[in-house]
Amino acid sequence: MSALGEKINQWWQLLVAFREKQIRKREEQIYHPFWVMVYKEIADHVRSWRFLIMGALILLTCMGSLYTAVQAMTSQSDQAASATSPGFFFLQLFTSSNGTLPPFHAFVAFLGPLLGISLGFDAINSEQHGRTLARLMAQPIHRDDIINAKFVAALVVISVMFFALTFLVMGTGLLVIGIPPTPGEFLRVMCYFLITVIYVAFWLNLSILFSVLFRQAATSALTSIAVWLFFTVFFQIILNLISSAIVPSPDMAPADQVIRAQHLVMNLSRLSPGQLFSDITTVLLRPTIRTFRPLTLSQVVGAIPNPLPLGQSLLIVWPQITGLVAVTTVCFALSYVSFMRREIR
Amino acid sequence: MLAYVFYPIGILWMMMSGLKADTVAKATDTIHTRATIRLYTPYTKISVHPGQSITYNVDVTNNSKVTQNVDLWVTGLSPAWNYSLKSGSWDIRQIAVLPGQKESVTLQVTVPLRINKGAYRFYLHAGNGTTLPLTVIVAERGIYKTAFTTDQPNLEGAANSTFTFNTTLQNATADTQLYALNAEVPPGWDLAFKANGYKQVASILVNPNSTQNLTIEVHPPDQVPAGKYRIPVIASSGSTGAELDLEVVITGNYGMSLSTPSGLLSTDVTAGSEKSLKLTVTNTGSASLKKIQFSATTPTNWDVTFDPKTIDELPAGKTAEVKALIKSDKHAIAGDYLVTIRANTTETSAKADFRVTVKTPVLWGWLGILIILVALGSIYYLFRKYGRR
Repeated sequence: MSALGEKINQWWQLLVAFREKQIRKREEQIYHPFWVMVYKEIADHVRSWRFLIMGALILLTCMGSLYTAVQAMTSQSDQAASATSPGFFFLQLFTSSNGTLPPFHAFVAFLGPLLGISLGFDAINSEQHGRTLARLMAQPIHRDDIINAKFVAALVVISVMFFALTFLVMGTGLLVIGIPPTPGEFLRVMCYFLITVIYVAFWLNLSILFSVLFRQAATSALTSIAVWLFFTVFFQIILNLISSAIVPSPDMAPADQVIRAQHLVMNLSRLSPGQLFSDITTVLLRPTIRTFRPLTLSQVVGAIPNPLPLGQSLLIVWPQITGLVAVTTVCFALSYVSFMRREIR
Repeated sequence: MLAYVFYPIGILWMMMSGLKADTVAKATDTIHTRATIRLYTPYTKISVHPGQSITYNVDVTNNSKVTQNVDLWVTGLSPAWNYSLKSGSWDIRQIAVLPGQKESVTLQVTVPLRINKGAYRFYLHAGNGTTLPLTVIVAERGIYKTAFTTDQPNLEGAANSTFTFNTTLQNATADTQLYALNAEVPPGWDLAFKANGYKQVASILVNPNSTQNLTIEVHPPDQVPAGKYRIPVIASSGSTGAELDLEVVITGNYGMSLSTPSGLLSTDVTAGSEKSLKLTVTNTGSASLKKIQFSATTPTNWDVTFDPKTIDELPAGKTAEVKALIKSDKHAIAGDYLVTIRANTTETSAKADFRVTVKTPVLWGWLGILIILVALGSIYYLFRKYGRR
């Protein structure tokens, strides 16, 4: 008994020594100032109330939607399997719902932008407001490192959070439905995770841009929210108005004219980053979707309704992915330029 | 008158010597009947087949003034012939006829089955003097055995057709025969005997001197080579039997299969572009195929062309290669489509279903990557321009 206790004690001593060595090593190591700022920013974010609240909100709603998805799958699994694609049980965790709550991907599309905005709207102007920016600039650091660190830190937080959330959903789903994902499904979920991070990064960049442009944190926050509201609510209303104006009645006009008009409306709707994101997630999580265009009967003749490989699904939404990445990059570039050319003092 | 004179004397003589009296009485009867009894039947010379039975209706007429008791018997028939005398459902030997009346007697004669061709004469006797000569001409020689015949012993057709022979089994013996039916067919052939409303049978009961129609159906195997095939069919019972030779002439069969050299029936094509596909056509039949034409059922706006367009002749067992050029629709959506390719001749056809996976052209994908690279490049340019200040 005492021999065992001694052994455990010995191991414990070793563990403590190792840990102390690690801490000493970290303290001794000289980091690049950029990474110091990133660590500091991450620490600030993780401990801030608004991140905790947003994180808890997203976690709760996503768990709720996961629960409804699992319920929907277990109660009407036959129907669900025949209605969507057979053999893609795992992806249904992210898309199916029994109607009481929206599915997982809808919640992410709705709350993701809010998270991005909340992490970025006071990135620069609060520093300016608290007069810490000038003090920061007095340190021997590059000026662009500040905005880069702000962006990277928020991106790391977002990535970690969605990574954790995705795996939480996958793990819970694995426990409940007991069917492991196929490699194809796993890759699709990983692509979905990456696209989500890019989408949230777009809103983060937008809010950082506003935080550079506006001196008041409240103004930039409200502007960001306004843009988000515009794209989620009003843009759809405007689109409906446009489509009722230009799309002729299918009873009166020739079919190709109707299709052309609808195509135009569809392309207009893709001006909204939210629409781009929902297009991408729909195709990624539903492998049976083969196209976005209005289908003519001649395209369907002879088609075998079976799922697409991941590469082909990605090719379908490649324009959307390009657009999303491009708009995110452009937002970052704008905020970068405006920060660099700005008089700070 | 004479009878009246001799009658008392006869009685006297009878009384003197009892034994002789009967003979005397018979003698007097004979004298009387010779003139008074007449036999008549209209058909006195009949031509028949062996085994047939003849019915004579004979009228026995009494022309005398007294009732006559007439003995009836037949002579001149060999023991193989059966006969019977009947009247009013009774088998009779003697018949009584009232004066001036006539009675009907039926004489039934059965011609034996084993008999030579020729004329046979026999007599029906009535009383002592009257005879009715009857002649039976046997038109053919009686065989006394089984005959298995068909009108058409030779049939011709393709290997996948059914050959139906209509045959007749005749039992020309005096007994009921149970015939076992057998046929010697080459391996793989199928032969069925059918009788009595197309019921398949293995043996059949035929009554004496009757016939039974048999239908023989022959199914050759599909892969049988062209040629002449002799099929002996035997009907045998314990005592008798007959054999019939049937002949089937196979002109060959037609079969074709369509595939690819590797057997893989799927391919992929980029939307709007072409894909060349190698097909193999194999003649699986035993006759050569002529003028094989190719066609395809495709989704709308797709096109399949073949090189060569037709194959003029493909000998049995040989394989030919054809190139198919599948051109997909520019607007085909990504995913799987079904393209059915057919090879047709007038005799047979073959088809193959191809699963064609349509891929989106990658051009736009590269353009997208280019746009992303430009965006990232601009960021790098900004870093270089504004950074490190």
